[in-house]
Amino acid sequence: MQRILLAQAEPGMILAKEILNPEGMVLCGAGTALSEPLIARLSGLDVVDVTVEGHPVNIEGEKTLQEELQEIDLRFQRVEDIVPLMYLKKRIKAKLAASRSTV
Amino acid sequence: MDEQKRAEFKKVLREIKNLPTLPGIVAKLGKMAENPDTTTEQMGRVISKDHILASKLLKLVNSAFYGFPQRISSLNSAIILLGFNVIKSLIISASIFEVMESQDVELWEHSLGCAVVCNVLARHLGVKDPEEISTAGLIHDIGKVAIKMELPREYEMITALSLEKKISRLEAEQEILGLDHAEVGSWLAKSWNLPNKLVEPIACHHEPQLAKEEQQASAIVHFANILIRGLGYGHAGDIWVPPLNNKAWKLLALAPADIDPLLQEIEEKLWDVKGFSLDIQTAPEGAA
Repeated sequence: MQRILLAQAEPGMILAKEILNPEGMVLCGAGTALSEPLIARLSGLDVVDVTVEGHPVNIEGEKTLQEELQEIDLRFQRVEDIVPLMYLKKRIKAKLAASRSTV
Repeated sequence: MDEQKRAEFKKVLREIKNLPTLPGIVAKLGKMAENPDTTTEQMGRVISKDHILASKLLKLVNSAFYGFPQRISSLNSAIILLGFNVIKSLIISASIFEVMESQDVELWEHSLGCAVVCNVLARHLGVKDPEEISTAGLIHDIGKVAIKMELPREYEMITALSLEKKISRLEAEQEILGLDHAEVGSWLAKSWNLPNKLVEPIACHHEPQLAKEEQQASAIVHFANILIRGLGYGHAGDIWVPPLNNKAWKLLALAPADIDPLLQEIEEKLWDVKGFSLDIQTAPEGAA
């Protein structure tokens, strides 16, 4: 999932998280497909950002998946003999890869 | 290590001049709590006299790392829901964090992240007061701030040494100062009269096997620190994921099947605290 500005939202994107107003009331549930009128309405309600499925927007300066996976390997380099931490590393990498797939 | 030098560093760090003294309100509330006749309303009145503190407290209480399902809008309900000890540690965190946030944004992010992970782990394990563990996570690296403020020259040397030798900040601290941030943090926490539930996890977050009373809390902060570093959230002075203590790991008794749901929950909560600041003048980021 990716958190993007409402200005970057486009019809067809699917909400990965519900949108709440400042009082904590749900404006729009997770799983909702965005449409032009819906985006316009959210903008009228002063919604600033939304969290959508996949990774639809390329942010300038953002690291590639490959770079991020390499950084994870580097961070765990000094604990390669600790089995539970190697499992943790594997799961963190798997999760990152899944969140970046655009499907 | 030169013994004389070590003693000198120890003295400077023990006398800490640049860190804030705790607001008088903490001592006052401490006395009130000892009196069994004190009511929630009385306590709420004392806190609400300090408007800024009261709003910071509510902001902290409603943030993602305490994870209450509904919004807590009054001090009284916060006191009832969280209990007096938690409120006290929150007031302390709010005061400490003003300094921490202004001193080192990346360390602040690391600490926030660690608090989030502590909260998720504590709830998963069914710990009695998860809020206290979150608070311990929030301030576990306070010793680093103290070293930075009191010994700025040595602080730079520690950074340089850790980069040059590719060792952890902790190892570099021990090499240069003959003591480390966990020890320094525990002195500070003791000098603020924090409960042992906060002191021990700070003192033992790298060596949880040394905890005498608060083994579970220490193990949670220990693993939360590892996990948040593994995720690369914030920056704690070096990039390395620290080693996991086997005894603490056994005590946590996490199964491989627990990891994915925990990571999912942590990720969602981290979204929510992104950009969190106790500065009440700043509008909360991401009103969505």
